[in-house]
Amino acid sequence: MSKVQSPKSKDEETISVELSFAHDELLENPTDEEIITLVKTKNRKRLSIPTSKDQKPKTKNQKSFLQYIVLPLIFLTTALLGGLRLNAADNGFLFLKPPLVCLIFASILLVLFFRANLIRLNGWFTENFSLTKNLANGCVLLTLFFASTQIFNSLLPERGLPFWIVAFCFFWTLWNNLFAEFDTKRLVQSLGGMFGLAFVVKYLVLAGLTAPTNKGWIQGIFENPTQEAFTWLLDLPKFAPATGYIQFFALIFYLIGLFLLKPETNKN
Amino acid sequence: MNEKHIQISGIFLTLFYTLFIAWLYWVEPKSLEEVPAKAQTTLENVTTKTQVAIGTYEIDQAKFDEGLQAFRKDNFVVARDNFERADTEKRDAKTQFYIAYSFYRQGFGKLSNDDALFKQGLEQTNRVVTLDKNFKSDDANLQLKTPVELKNEFEEGLRVTASDFNPLRVLRERK
Repeated sequence: MSKVQSPKSKDEETISVELSFAHDELLENPTDEEIITLVKTKNRKRLSIPTSKDQKPKTKNQKSFLQYIVLPLIFLTTALLGGLRLNAADNGFLFLKPPLVCLIFASILLVLFFRANLIRLNGWFTENFSLTKNLANGCVLLTLFFASTQIFNSLLPERGLPFWIVAFCFFWTLWNNLFAEFDTKRLVQSLGGMFGLAFVVKYLVLAGLTAPTNKGWIQGIFENPTQEAFTWLLDLPKFAPATGYIQFFALIFYLIGLFLLKPETNKN
Repeated sequence: MNEKHIQISGIFLTLFYTLFIAWLYWVEPKSLEEVPAKAQTTLENVTTKTQVAIGTYEIDQAKFDEGLQAFRKDNFVVARDNFERADTEKRDAKTQFYIAYSFYRQGFGKLSNDDALFKQGLEQTNRVVTLDKNFKSDDANLQLKTPVELKNEFEEGLRVTASDFNPLRVLRERK
Protein backbone atom coordinates (compact mmCIF):
# COMPACT_ATOMS: atom_id res chain seq x y z
CA MET A 1 0.00 0.00 0.00
CA SER A 2 1.49 3.18 -1.06
CA LYS A 3 1.09 6.14 1.25
CA VAL A 4 2.40 8.58 -1.29
CA GLN A 5 -0.35 10.88 -2.51
CA SER A 6 -0.30 13.67 -5.01
CA PRO A 7 -0.28 17.06 -3.25
CA LYS A 8 -3.78 18.54 -3.15
CA SER A 9 -4.79 22.04 -2.55
CA LYS A 10 -7.01 22.99 0.41
CA ASP A 11 -10.02 23.39 -1.86
CA GLU A 12 -9.55 19.95 -3.26
CA GLU A 13 -9.51 18.41 0.21
CA THR A 14 -12.63 20.28 1.30
CA ILE A 15 -14.57 19.28 -1.75
CA SER A 16 -13.45 15.71 -1.42
CA VAL A 17 -14.74 15.58 2.14
CA GLU A 18 -18.00 17.29 1.14
CA LEU A 19 -18.56 14.78 -1.61
CA SER A 20 -17.85 11.82 0.62
CA PHE A 21 -20.41 12.64 3.26
CA ALA A 22 -23.11 14.73 1.63
CA HIS A 23 -26.53 13.27 2.44
CA ASP A 24 -25.17 9.74 2.68
CA GLU A 25 -25.88 9.39 -1.00
CA LEU A 26 -22.40 9.50 -2.41
CA LEU A 27 -20.95 6.18 -1.37
CA GLU A 28 -17.88 6.17 -3.54
CA ASN A 29 -15.07 8.68 -3.49
CA PRO A 30 -14.88 10.76 -6.66
CA THR A 31 -12.14 10.23 -9.11
CA ASP A 32 -9.26 12.71 -9.52
CA GLU A 33 -10.76 13.99 -12.75
CA GLU A 34 -14.06 14.78 -11.06
CA ILE A 35 -12.25 16.62 -8.28
CA ILE A 36 -10.25 18.69 -10.75
CA THR A 37 -13.44 19.60 -12.62
CA LEU A 38 -15.14 20.68 -9.39
CA VAL A 39 -12.18 22.81 -8.31
CA LYS A 40 -12.08 24.52 -11.67
CA THR A 41 -15.82 25.23 -11.51
CA LYS A 42 -15.52 26.61 -8.01
CA ASN A 43 -12.59 28.84 -8.90
CA ARG A 44 -14.47 30.09 -11.94
CA LYS A 45 -17.44 30.98 -9.76
CA ARG A 46 -15.15 32.81 -7.36
CA LEU A 47 -13.59 34.78 -10.14
CA SER A 48 -16.92 35.68 -11.66
CA ILE A 49 -18.16 37.57 -8.51
CA PRO A 50 -18.53 41.17 -9.65
CA THR A 51 -16.66 43.81 -7.72
CA SER A 52 -17.33 47.48 -7.99
CA LYS A 53 -16.03 50.63 -6.37
CA ASP A 54 -19.11 50.80 -4.14
CA GLN A 55 -18.38 47.44 -2.57
CA LYS A 56 -15.24 48.39 -0.76
CA PRO A 57 -14.65 46.44 2.42
CA LYS A 58 -15.67 48.32 5.54
CA THR A 59 -12.87 49.97 7.39
CA LYS A 60 -12.50 49.69 11.15
CA ASN A 61 -13.60 53.32 11.51
CA GLN A 62 -16.79 52.71 9.58
CA LYS A 63 -17.64 49.80 11.83
CA SER A 64 -16.93 51.82 14.94
CA PHE A 65 -19.02 54.68 13.60
CA LEU A 66 -21.89 52.31 12.98
CA GLN A 67 -21.61 50.71 16.37
CA TYR A 68 -20.97 53.69 18.63
CA ILE A 69 -22.78 56.52 16.82
CA VAL A 70 -25.46 55.14 14.52
CA LEU A 71 -26.68 52.29 16.72
CA PRO A 72 -27.25 54.42 19.86
CA LEU A 73 -28.96 57.05 17.70
CA ILE A 74 -31.33 54.43 16.30
CA PHE A 75 -32.12 52.96 19.71
CA LEU A 76 -32.57 56.34 21.36
CA THR A 77 -34.84 57.52 18.55
CA THR A 78 -36.90 54.40 19.21
CA ALA A 79 -36.94 55.33 22.89
CA LEU A 80 -38.07 58.86 22.02
CA LEU A 81 -40.85 57.75 19.69
CA GLY A 82 -41.99 54.75 21.74
CA GLY A 83 -43.87 56.79 24.33
CA LEU A 84 -45.09 59.51 22.00
CA ARG A 85 -48.80 59.70 21.22
CA LEU A 86 -50.82 62.42 19.54
CA ASN A 87 -53.95 63.67 21.22
CA ALA A 88 -57.05 63.05 19.10
CA ALA A 89 -58.63 66.38 20.04
CA ASP A 90 -55.86 68.81 19.08
CA ASN A 91 -53.01 66.61 17.78
CA GLY A 92 -50.92 67.74 20.76
CA PHE A 93 -47.99 65.64 21.95
CA LEU A 94 -48.55 63.20 24.78
CA PHE A 95 -45.42 61.73 26.30
CA LEU A 96 -46.37 58.54 28.13
CA LYS A 97 -43.85 57.27 30.63
CA PRO A 98 -43.35 53.51 30.53
CA PRO A 99 -45.17 51.50 33.19
CA LEU A 100 -43.09 49.27 35.47
CA VAL A 101 -44.07 46.13 33.57
CA CYS A 102 -42.25 47.48 30.48
CA LEU A 103 -38.99 47.64 32.43
CA ILE A 104 -39.49 44.04 33.54
CA PHE A 105 -40.21 42.89 29.99
CA ALA A 106 -37.17 44.76 28.68
CA SER A 107 -34.98 43.09 31.29
CA ILE A 108 -36.27 39.65 30.32
CA LEU A 109 -35.70 40.52 26.67
CA LEU A 110 -32.08 41.45 27.34
CA VAL A 111 -31.57 38.14 29.15
CA LEU A 112 -33.03 36.44 26.08
CA PHE A 113 -30.60 38.31 23.85
CA PHE A 114 -27.72 37.01 25.94
CA ARG A 115 -29.09 33.46 26.00
CA ALA A 116 -29.60 33.33 22.25
CA ASN A 117 -26.15 34.80 21.63
CA LEU A 118 -27.51 37.87 19.92
CA ILE A 119 -25.18 39.58 22.36
CA ARG A 120 -22.22 37.77 23.86
CA LEU A 121 -21.33 39.29 27.18
CA ASN A 122 -17.64 38.48 26.93
CA GLY A 123 -17.61 39.98 23.45
CA TRP A 124 -18.87 43.30 24.79
CA PHE A 125 -17.16 43.61 28.13
CA THR A 126 -13.73 42.26 28.86
CA GLU A 127 -10.69 43.41 30.76
CA ASN A 128 -8.72 43.20 27.53
CA PHE A 129 -10.67 46.20 26.20
CA SER A 130 -9.81 49.74 27.12
CA LEU A 131 -11.98 51.55 29.66
CA THR A 132 -13.35 53.79 26.91
CA LYS A 133 -14.40 50.84 24.81
CA ASN A 134 -16.08 49.11 27.74
CA LEU A 135 -17.89 52.36 28.59
CA ALA A 136 -18.97 52.91 24.98
CA ASN A 137 -20.22 49.32 24.79
CA GLY A 138 -22.12 49.85 28.03
CA CYS A 139 -23.76 52.96 26.54
CA VAL A 140 -24.87 51.00 23.47
CA LEU A 141 -26.41 48.27 25.62
CA LEU A 142 -28.07 50.89 27.81
CA THR A 143 -29.69 52.45 24.76
CA LEU A 144 -30.82 48.96 23.72
CA PHE A 145 -32.49 48.60 27.13
CA PHE A 146 -34.20 52.00 26.81
CA ALA A 147 -35.41 51.17 23.32
CA SER A 148 -36.73 47.77 24.44
CA THR A 149 -38.59 49.38 27.33
CA GLN A 150 -40.15 51.97 25.06
CA ILE A 151 -41.08 49.39 22.42
CA PHE A 152 -43.12 47.57 25.05
CA ASN A 153 -44.55 50.94 26.11
CA SER A 154 -45.48 51.54 22.49
CA LEU A 155 -47.10 48.16 21.88
CA LEU A 156 -48.92 47.67 25.17
CA PRO A 157 -52.40 49.21 25.29
CA GLU A 158 -52.42 52.08 27.75
CA ARG A 159 -54.99 50.85 30.26
CA GLY A 160 -57.95 48.65 30.97
CA LEU A 161 -58.56 45.05 30.01
CA PRO A 162 -56.52 45.16 26.75
CA PHE A 163 -53.46 46.25 28.73
CA TRP A 164 -53.64 43.23 31.01
CA ILE A 165 -54.40 40.77 28.19
CA VAL A 166 -51.55 41.95 25.95
CA ALA A 167 -49.17 42.25 28.91
CA PHE A 168 -49.99 38.68 29.88
CA CYS A 169 -49.38 37.47 26.32
CA PHE A 170 -46.01 39.25 26.26
CA PHE A 171 -45.09 37.80 29.61
CA TRP A 172 -46.16 34.29 28.60
CA THR A 173 -44.13 34.42 25.38
CA LEU A 174 -41.02 35.88 26.98
CA TRP A 175 -41.18 33.50 29.92
CA ASN A 176 -41.48 30.46 27.63
CA ASN A 177 -38.67 31.72 25.43
CA LEU A 178 -36.50 32.13 28.47
CA PHE A 179 -36.35 28.36 28.92
CA ALA A 180 -36.35 27.35 25.26
CA GLU A 181 -33.29 26.50 23.20
CA PHE A 182 -32.85 29.37 20.80
CA ASP A 183 -30.57 30.46 18.07
CA THR A 184 -30.18 34.09 17.13
CA LYS A 185 -32.16 33.89 13.91
CA ARG A 186 -35.14 32.21 15.52
CA LEU A 187 -35.15 34.67 18.40
CA VAL A 188 -35.24 37.64 16.05
CA GLN A 189 -37.97 35.95 13.97
CA SER A 190 -39.97 35.23 17.12
CA LEU A 191 -39.60 38.80 18.36
CA GLY A 192 -40.51 40.21 14.96
CA GLY A 193 -43.64 38.05 14.93
CA MET A 194 -44.59 38.97 18.50
CA PHE A 195 -44.07 42.70 18.02
CA GLY A 196 -45.81 42.66 14.63
CA LEU A 197 -48.87 40.94 16.10
CA ALA A 198 -48.99 43.32 19.05
CA PHE A 199 -48.76 46.27 16.66
CA VAL A 200 -51.66 44.95 14.58
CA VAL A 201 -53.75 44.34 17.71
CA LYS A 202 -53.17 47.79 19.15
CA TYR A 203 -52.95 50.10 16.18
CA LEU A 204 -55.32 48.35 13.78
CA VAL A 205 -57.81 46.27 15.76
CA LEU A 206 -58.19 48.31 18.95
CA ALA A 207 -57.76 51.63 17.12
CA GLY A 208 -60.52 50.49 14.74
CA LEU A 209 -62.80 49.82 17.70
CA THR A 210 -62.22 53.25 19.23
CA ALA A 211 -64.97 55.80 18.71
CA PRO A 212 -64.04 59.09 17.04
CA THR A 213 -63.66 62.08 19.35
CA ASN A 214 -65.19 64.86 17.32
CA LYS A 215 -68.72 63.74 18.09
CA GLY A 216 -70.63 64.05 21.33
CA TRP A 217 -71.34 60.81 23.14
CA ILE A 218 -75.08 60.95 22.43
CA GLN A 219 -74.44 61.46 18.71
CA GLY A 220 -71.81 58.75 18.89
CA ILE A 221 -74.23 56.25 20.44
CA PHE A 222 -76.69 56.77 17.59
CA GLU A 223 -74.12 56.80 14.79
CA ASN A 224 -71.47 54.32 16.04
CA PRO A 225 -73.05 52.30 18.82
CA THR A 226 -70.51 49.45 18.54
CA GLN A 227 -67.48 51.71 18.67
CA GLU A 228 -68.91 53.69 21.56
CA ALA A 229 -69.65 50.45 23.42
CA PHE A 230 -66.15 49.03 22.86
CA THR A 231 -64.51 52.31 23.78
CA TRP A 232 -66.46 52.40 27.02
CA LEU A 233 -66.12 48.70 27.84
CA LEU A 234 -62.42 48.37 27.02
CA ASP A 235 -61.54 51.85 28.30
CA LEU A 236 -59.78 52.66 25.03
CA PRO A 237 -57.86 55.94 24.86
CA LYS A 238 -58.49 58.19 21.88
CA PHE A 239 -55.36 59.07 19.92
CA ALA A 240 -54.90 60.75 16.55
CA PRO A 241 -54.35 58.35 13.61
CA ALA A 242 -50.81 59.70 13.19
CA THR A 243 -49.87 57.88 16.42
CA GLY A 244 -49.97 54.57 14.57
CA TYR A 245 -47.58 55.87 11.92
CA ILE A 246 -45.14 57.15 14.54
CA GLN A 247 -45.18 53.83 16.37
CA PHE A 248 -44.73 51.94 13.11
CA PHE A 249 -41.48 53.80 12.52
CA ALA A 250 -40.45 53.28 16.14
CA LEU A 251 -40.84 49.53 15.65
CA ILE A 252 -38.99 49.59 12.34
CA PHE A 253 -36.11 51.55 13.91
CA TYR A 254 -35.91 49.03 16.72
CA LEU A 255 -35.79 46.05 14.36
CA ILE A 256 -33.14 47.77 12.23
CA GLY A 257 -31.14 48.37 15.41
CA LEU A 258 -31.38 44.69 16.32
CA PHE A 259 -30.29 43.77 12.81
CA LEU A 260 -27.22 46.01 13.09
CA LEU A 261 -26.32 44.75 16.55
CA LYS A 262 -23.24 42.55 16.54
CA PRO A 263 -22.80 39.64 18.96
CA GLU A 264 -19.22 40.68 19.68
CA THR A 265 -17.45 43.98 19.36
CA ASN A 266 -13.94 42.61 19.10
CA LYS A 267 -14.48 40.66 15.89
CA ASN A 268 -14.87 42.00 12.40
CA MET B 1 -10.75 60.06 13.43
CA ASN B 2 -9.48 57.05 15.28
CA GLU B 3 -11.60 54.46 17.05
CA LYS B 4 -11.12 55.93 20.51
CA HIS B 5 -12.41 59.33 19.40
CA ILE B 6 -15.48 57.68 17.88
CA GLN B 7 -16.11 55.82 21.14
CA ILE B 8 -15.81 58.99 23.21
CA SER B 9 -18.10 60.86 20.79
CA GLY B 10 -20.55 57.96 21.06
CA ILE B 11 -20.58 58.14 24.86
CA PHE B 12 -21.22 61.91 24.88
CA LEU B 13 -23.81 61.67 22.12
CA THR B 14 -25.64 58.93 23.99
CA LEU B 15 -25.60 60.87 27.26
CA PHE B 16 -26.76 64.10 25.61
CA TYR B 17 -29.55 62.44 23.63
CA THR B 18 -30.68 60.42 26.68
CA LEU B 19 -30.85 63.60 28.77
CA PHE B 20 -32.79 65.34 26.02
CA ILE B 21 -35.33 62.50 25.84
CA ALA B 22 -35.65 62.36 29.65
CA TRP B 23 -36.18 66.13 29.68
CA LEU B 24 -38.87 65.89 26.98
CA TYR B 25 -40.72 63.23 28.95
CA TRP B 26 -40.39 65.32 32.10
CA VAL B 27 -41.65 68.67 30.77
CA GLU B 28 -44.11 67.12 28.30
CA PRO B 29 -44.42 69.89 25.69
CA LYS B 30 -47.74 69.81 23.84
CA SER B 31 -46.21 70.92 20.54
CA LEU B 32 -42.89 71.77 18.94
CA GLU B 33 -43.60 75.48 19.52
CA GLU B 34 -43.73 74.86 23.26
CA VAL B 35 -40.26 73.31 23.39
CA PRO B 36 -38.24 76.60 23.55
CA ALA B 37 -40.53 78.02 26.28
CA LYS B 38 -40.18 74.83 28.31
CA ALA B 39 -36.42 74.94 27.83
CA GLN B 40 -36.28 78.50 29.16
CA THR B 41 -38.39 77.58 32.21
CA THR B 42 -36.17 74.60 32.92
CA LEU B 43 -33.07 76.76 32.60
CA GLU B 44 -34.47 79.29 35.07
CA ASN B 45 -35.38 76.52 37.51
CA VAL B 46 -31.95 74.98 37.25
CA THR B 47 -30.33 78.38 37.81
CA THR B 48 -32.46 79.01 40.92
CA LYS B 49 -31.77 75.54 42.32
CA THR B 50 -28.07 76.04 41.74
CA GLN B 51 -28.22 79.41 43.53
CA VAL B 52 -29.98 77.74 46.47
CA ALA B 53 -27.39 74.97 46.54
CA ILE B 54 -24.44 77.35 46.60
CA GLY B 55 -26.13 79.83 48.93
CA THR B 56 -26.46 82.79 46.57
CA TYR B 57 -30.23 82.66 46.20
CA GLU B 58 -32.01 86.02 46.20
CA ILE B 59 -35.59 86.96 45.56
CA ASP B 60 -36.60 88.92 42.48
CA GLN B 61 -36.77 92.41 44.00
CA ALA B 62 -38.73 93.93 41.12
CA LYS B 63 -41.48 91.33 41.42
CA PHE B 64 -41.48 91.78 45.18
CA ASP B 65 -41.98 95.55 44.81
CA GLU B 66 -44.82 94.99 42.37
CA GLY B 67 -46.38 92.58 44.83
CA LEU B 68 -46.03 95.09 47.66
CA GLN B 69 -47.72 97.80 45.62
CA ALA B 70 -50.62 95.49 44.81
CA PHE B 71 -50.79 94.45 48.50
CA ARG B 72 -51.11 98.06 49.59
CA LYS B 73 -53.88 98.63 47.04
CA ASP B 74 -55.75 95.63 48.51
CA ASN B 75 -55.30 93.72 45.26
CA PHE B 76 -54.35 90.53 47.09
CA VAL B 77 -54.62 88.02 44.26
CA VAL B 78 -52.16 89.97 42.11
CA ALA B 79 -49.98 90.61 45.14
CA ARG B 80 -49.73 86.90 45.96
CA ASP B 81 -48.94 86.07 42.36
CA ASN B 82 -46.09 88.57 42.32
CA PHE B 83 -44.77 87.45 45.70
CA GLU B 84 -44.76 83.83 44.55
CA ARG B 85 -42.90 84.79 41.39
CA ALA B 86 -40.43 86.83 43.42
CA ASP B 87 -39.67 83.91 45.73
CA THR B 88 -40.04 80.83 43.55
CA GLU B 89 -38.18 78.61 45.99
CA LYS B 90 -40.28 79.79 48.97
CA ARG B 91 -37.20 80.48 51.03
CA ASP B 92 -37.58 84.14 51.96
CA ALA B 93 -39.44 84.63 55.25
CA LYS B 94 -40.35 88.24 54.50
CA THR B 95 -42.04 87.43 51.18
CA GLN B 96 -43.78 84.40 52.64
CA PHE B 97 -45.03 86.55 55.53
CA TYR B 98 -46.59 89.01 53.09
CA ILE B 99 -48.32 86.12 51.31
CA ALA B 100 -49.74 84.93 54.64
CA TYR B 101 -50.80 88.46 55.51
CA SER B 102 -52.56 88.81 52.15
CA PHE B 103 -54.69 85.77 53.06
CA TYR B 104 -55.61 87.45 56.33
CA ARG B 105 -56.58 90.78 54.77
CA GLN B 106 -58.48 89.18 51.92
CA GLY B 107 -60.31 86.75 54.18
CA PHE B 108 -61.18 89.26 56.89
CA GLY B 109 -64.87 90.13 57.13
CA LYS B 110 -66.84 92.36 59.48
CA LEU B 111 -69.56 89.73 59.90
CA SER B 112 -67.67 86.55 59.14
CA ASN B 113 -64.24 85.56 57.86
CA ASP B 114 -63.53 83.46 54.79
CA ASP B 115 -62.53 80.15 56.35
CA ALA B 116 -60.91 78.79 53.19
CA LEU B 117 -58.56 81.76 52.91
CA PHE B 118 -57.82 81.69 56.62
CA LYS B 119 -56.86 78.02 56.44
CA GLN B 120 -54.46 78.76 53.58
CA GLY B 121 -53.13 81.70 55.57
CA LEU B 122 -52.54 79.48 58.57
CA GLU B 123 -50.53 77.02 56.49
CA GLN B 124 -48.56 79.88 55.00
CA THR B 125 -47.81 81.30 58.46
CA ASN B 126 -46.52 77.91 59.57
CA ARG B 127 -44.17 78.00 56.61
CA VAL B 128 -42.85 81.40 57.74
CA VAL B 129 -42.24 79.99 61.23
CA THR B 130 -40.34 77.07 59.69
CA LEU B 131 -38.16 79.45 57.68
CA ASP B 132 -37.48 81.92 60.50
CA LYS B 133 -39.19 81.54 63.85
CA ASN B 134 -37.83 84.91 65.06
CA PHE B 135 -39.06 86.81 62.03
CA LYS B 136 -40.39 90.32 62.69
CA SER B 137 -41.71 92.59 59.97
CA ASP B 138 -40.37 96.14 59.68
CA ASP B 139 -43.39 97.35 57.68
CA ALA B 140 -45.11 100.16 59.62
CA ASN B 141 -48.39 99.53 57.77
CA LEU B 142 -48.74 96.06 59.28
CA GLN B 143 -50.18 95.87 62.76
CA LEU B 144 -49.34 92.20 63.12
CA LYS B 145 -45.57 92.14 63.04
CA THR B 146 -44.74 88.53 63.81
CA PRO B 147 -45.93 85.17 62.49
CA VAL B 148 -47.13 84.25 65.98
CA GLU B 149 -49.55 87.19 66.07
CA LEU B 150 -50.77 86.41 62.58
CA LYS B 151 -51.20 82.76 63.45
CA ASN B 152 -53.26 83.70 66.50
CA GLU B 153 -55.47 85.89 64.33
CA PHE B 154 -56.08 83.01 61.89
CA GLU B 155 -56.81 80.53 64.68
CA GLU B 156 -59.22 82.94 66.38
CA GLY B 157 -60.92 83.58 63.07
CA LEU B 158 -61.39 79.88 62.37
CA ARG B 159 -62.69 79.04 65.85
CA VAL B 160 -66.46 79.36 66.48
CA THR B 161 -67.07 80.99 69.88
CA ALA B 162 -69.88 82.90 71.60
CA SER B 163 -68.14 86.18 70.79
CA ASP B 164 -68.74 85.50 67.11
CA PHE B 165 -72.40 86.37 67.72
CA ASN B 166 -71.60 89.69 69.39
CA PRO B 167 -73.15 92.44 67.19
CA LEU B 168 -70.34 94.78 68.16
CA ARG B 169 -68.01 92.65 66.04
CA VAL B 170 -68.97 94.77 63.04
CA LEU B 171 -67.05 97.63 64.61
CA ARG B 172 -63.73 95.81 64.71
CA GLU B 173 -61.03 96.91 62.30
CA ARG B 174 -58.82 94.92 60.00
CA LYS B 175 -55.25 94.90 61.21
